[in-house]
Amino acid sequence: MTNPRILLVEDSRDDAELVRLADQSLHLHSELVVAEDGEAALDYLFRAEADPPAVVILDLRLPGMGGLEVLRTMRSRPQTRRIPVVILTGSERDEDVLAGYDLGANSFVRKPHEFEAFRALITHLEHYWVMTNLRPPV
Amino acid sequence: MGKTEGSDGVHDGTEDGHQAGTVVSARAPIGHGVAWRLLASIFLFSSLVTLLTTLFELYMDYRGQIDDIVNRFEEIETAYLPSLGGSLWSLDTDQLQLQIEGIKRLPDMQYLEVREIGRSLKRRVTISTGDRGVGPVLSREFPITYAESRDRNDEQTIGALYVEATLSGVYARLVDKAVVILISQGIKTFLVSMFILYIVYRLVTRHLVAIASYLSRFNLSQSDPLRLSRSRPSREDELDRMVGAFNQMSSGLREVYQQLHEVNAELEEDIAARRKAEEEVTRLNSELEQRVRQRTAELEASNKELDAFTYSVSHDLRAPLRRIEGFGQILADEYSTKLDERFSHYLQRIRAGSRDMSEMIDSFLKLSRSTRSELTVEDIDLSDMAAKVVARLREKDPQRSVSVEIAPGLRNRGDRRLMDAVLENLIGNAWKYSRHNKAAAISFGCETSEGRVVYVVRDNGAGFDMNYLDRLFMPFCRLHRPEEFEGTGIGLATVLRILARHGGRIWAEGAIGKGAVFRFTLWEAGGQDDKP
Repeated sequence: MTNPRILLVEDSRDDAELVRLADQSLHLHSELVVAEDGEAALDYLFRAEADPPAVVILDLRLPGMGGLEVLRTMRSRPQTRRIPVVILTGSERDEDVLAGYDLGANSFVRKPHEFEAFRALITHLEHYWVMTNLRPPV
Repeated sequence: MGKTEGSDGVHDGTEDGHQAGTVVSARAPIGHGVAWRLLASIFLFSSLVTLLTTLFELYMDYRGQIDDIVNRFEEIETAYLPSLGGSLWSLDTDQLQLQIEGIKRLPDMQYLEVREIGRSLKRRVTISTGDRGVGPVLSREFPITYAESRDRNDEQTIGALYVEATLSGVYARLVDKAVVILISQGIKTFLVSMFILYIVYRLVTRHLVAIASYLSRFNLSQSDPLRLSRSRPSREDELDRMVGAFNQMSSGLREVYQQLHEVNAELEEDIAARRKAEEEVTRLNSELEQRVRQRTAELEASNKELDAFTYSVSHDLRAPLRRIEGFGQILADEYSTKLDERFSHYLQRIRAGSRDMSEMIDSFLKLSRSTRSELTVEDIDLSDMAAKVVARLREKDPQRSVSVEIAPGLRNRGDRRLMDAVLENLIGNAWKYSRHNKAAAISFGCETSEGRVVYVVRDNGAGFDMNYLDRLFMPFCRLHRPEEFEGTGIGLATVLRILARHGGRIWAEGAIGKGAVFRFTLWEAGGQDDKP
C-alpha cells in the first residue's frame, strides 16, 4: 500500500513549496500532490477515483475556476463527494468561511503568518485527516 | 335644512334690498333733492305766513266794516232820530215811511222799524221797511224822544227805532278781498319761491350737482382739480372755501396716494427680487441636493471599492509576506549554523520587517473590518472586558509592573468584538506609552458629564502634544517615532470608527510627559439599535 496522499490545490508554487517543506521537515509519511489550479485538481481526483487522496487542502484563490467552485463540483460528484476538504486560505472574510462550510468543507483554516505556526497547522491537519480520520474502506 | 335655506333667502333678500336702496339714493335725480325740498319748505312757510297775514288783514277789515256800521248807527241816531221823533209825534206815518226808507238807503241797512210807545195799546203806530232777520245781521234799537219845548228835560220817549244792518255785504266783500289777497299772495309766493329756487340753484345746487358728479368721477390718478363754472364773487364764499379745502384735501390725498404707489412699486420690486432670490435658492438647493445625492452615491460606490481594495490589498500583501517568513524560517533553521553571524542578523532583520508589515496589514484589516462588519449589539461588561485586556497585556509583558485600576460594574451595550478592539487599543496605548514611567498607572473608569456617562482611560505615560490633537485619530498618523514607540498608527482611527458606529464620540487631552486621558461615550442619541 502506498503512502497516504494529500492533494494540495495551490496556484502559488512558492506556497506549495512551503507546504512541502513543512511537510518534509516534519518527516511525515504522507505524499503531497500539488495541483496548480481547479481543473488540474478535479482532473486528478477523477483519474485517481479508485485511490483518492486522504484529504484535499484547497486554496480559495485560484486562477480560473475558484476554490469554492472546485469544492462545489467535488460535492456534486459521487466519486469525490466523500473526500475530506480543508480550506486553507489567507482570506479573512466571513462570507468565504460561511460559503465554504455551506458547500461542505470539512474545515476552514487560515494561513498563519509565522512559519512555525504554519508547520504546526500542517502537522495537525495531517494527524487528524490522514492518520486519525481514516476513511472506511469503500 | 329647509329652515336654513329659508333664512338664507331672507338674508339675501334683505341684502338685495339694501343694495338696491343704496343704488337708488346714490343715483337719485337731483330734482328730488335739496332744491325741491327747499322749494316745498319756502312754499309751505310762505303760504302759512300769507294765510296768517291774510286772516289778520281780513279780521282787521271785518272790524273796520263793523265799525263803519256802528258809526252809521250813531250817524242815524244823531242825524235822523230828532226828525223821526217829530214825525212820530205828529203821527205822520207817510213822513215816517219816507224817512226810514231814506235811512235804509244807507249802505248795509236791511230793515228799519219805528214803533210807537205809550198812549193806548190799541192804536200803536208801527212802520217798517225791508226784510227782517234775513242772514247775519247787526241790530240796534234807539229810543225816539220828543220834547215840546227846547228844554231837554221835557223829553219823553214816544217810540223806538229798530235798525237791522245786514252783514252779508260785509262777508261778501271779505270773501272777495280774501280771494284777491290769496291769489295775489299765492302768485307772489310762487314767483318768490321760483326766484329763490333759481337763485339757490344758480348759486348752490348746480354747484352741488357739479361737485357730486365730480366726486362720483373722482379718481386719485386724475389730476384736474375741482373747478366750479361760475363768475367768481369778489370775495371768497363758502363754496370757494369748500372747493379750496376739497382740492387741498384731494391734492394731499393724491400726494399720499402717489407715495403709496411708489412705496408699493418699491415693495413689489422688493418682492419680485425676493421671489427671484428664493427661486434661485430653491434651484441651488435642488442642485445641491442632486449633487449631494450624486456625491453620496459616488462616495458609497468608492467606499465599497475602497473596502474591496483594502481587503484584497491586505489579503494579497500577506501572501508574499508569509512566503518571506516561511522561507526565512527555513533558512534560519537549516543554514544559520553554516553561515556567519551577519547572515543570521540580516535574516532576522528581513523577518522582523516582514512581521512588522504583517502587523500593519492586520491592523489595516481591523480598521476596514470595523467599518464593514455588521454590528451585533449585546450587553457587555466593560469592566470585565478591560480586565481581560489588561491580563493579556501582563501576559505579553510579564516583566512590567503597572498599577491598573478598573472601576467595577461598567456595563453597556455594544458589539463585543469591536468594543474589545476599542479597549484593547486604548488600554494597550496606555500600557505602551507608560513604558518609560517606573510607576506606571492606568485607570479605566467613568464619570458623568451633562447627564451622560463618559468612560475614561487614563495613564501617566509619555502623553502627547495637544497641538497635534487633530492628527491623533487620523489613520497612519503617528505622534511618536517608531524607534520610540512601535505601532501602526491605525489603532485610534479604528477606535474612532467603532465608537462612531456605536453612536459615541472620543476625545483626548494630554501633555508631553504628563500622560494622556481618553474619554469616550456610547449611544449619545439614546438609541442602542444602531444600524450601520
